[in-house]
Amino acid sequence: MEPTYNDASFAFCWRPQYAFSQIKRFDIVTVRFTGKSIMLLKRVIGLPGETLEFRQGILYINEKQIQEPYVRHRRPWNLAPRRIKPDHVYIVGDNRGTPMSSHVFGQVQINRIIGGVVP
Amino acid sequence: MNKKILLVLILILTVVAIVFLPNDKKKILRNLDTLAEYCSSASGESTIALLKKGALAAKLCTPPCMVQIPSHDIRRDFSKKELTDHILMMKRRLPEIDFNFYDTGITFPEKTQAELTTTLKLTGKINNDHFTDAYELTIHTEKIDGDWLFSSFSVIEFIEQ
Repeated sequence: MEPTYNDASFAFCWRPQYAFSQIKRFDIVTVRFTGKSIMLLKRVIGLPGETLEFRQGILYINEKQIQEPYVRHRRPWNLAPRRIKPDHVYIVGDNRGTPMSSHVFGQVQINRIIGGVVP
Repeated sequence: MNKKILLVLILILTVVAIVFLPNDKKKILRNLDTLAEYCSSASGESTIALLKKGALAAKLCTPPCMVQIPSHDIRRDFSKKELTDHILMMKRRLPEIDFNFYDTGITFPEKTQAELTTTLKLTGKINNDHFTDAYELTIHTEKIDGDWLFSSFSVIEFIEQ
């Protein structure tokens, strides 16, 4: 999640964040594996039912270009359009300076999201 | 009075038995910790220690043992020798690596079979750079001659591009 969160930096997971509100685009969320000891920190860029694509590192949602001011270094990622399944969101890290093949990103079931992040 | 003391003693013994006596769940978890220990490496480990740990790790698995890693198109049985070779290869490529399992859940579909869901966290160094990686795994174990052996490892890819 560089540069927003540096490696080995410290943040709290705010679990009640989605108790009374929906996940929005650009939210930073924690995603669980089998439990809550190990989690991924990612940004939500796509919502259920939307069509997402990367062209030369630029994000397109439903064929509209989306500005991502939090991305500093951008590699020319290319990802063919794909529809996000119901009950899923599309997550990706802010560090786009890495090759696409070595970056963990994609759609996950909403019930994998434990909460938001503070600060 | 004597009855009360007896009851308390029985209660204490029951608690001690539950806490300290090995049951199947504890045995499986202990095997998982042992597997993590054998797969981990510290820098400067001798070749003999590497060979020994690789062989001991493979000994915790059934021959053959199924390994599934969908992202690498791997879905096949591995013999004990193949497992040992792959563990050794990994140890040579990553001389400083730590395996740890977290949030392990165990269910027993049958008396001699168990299914584990767990998170494997890998930490270590490659070319002096620290790395951290995590994988969700489903592991099957079988009780053979009183020992719980790992019979399959599957990486669960819950993020789909």
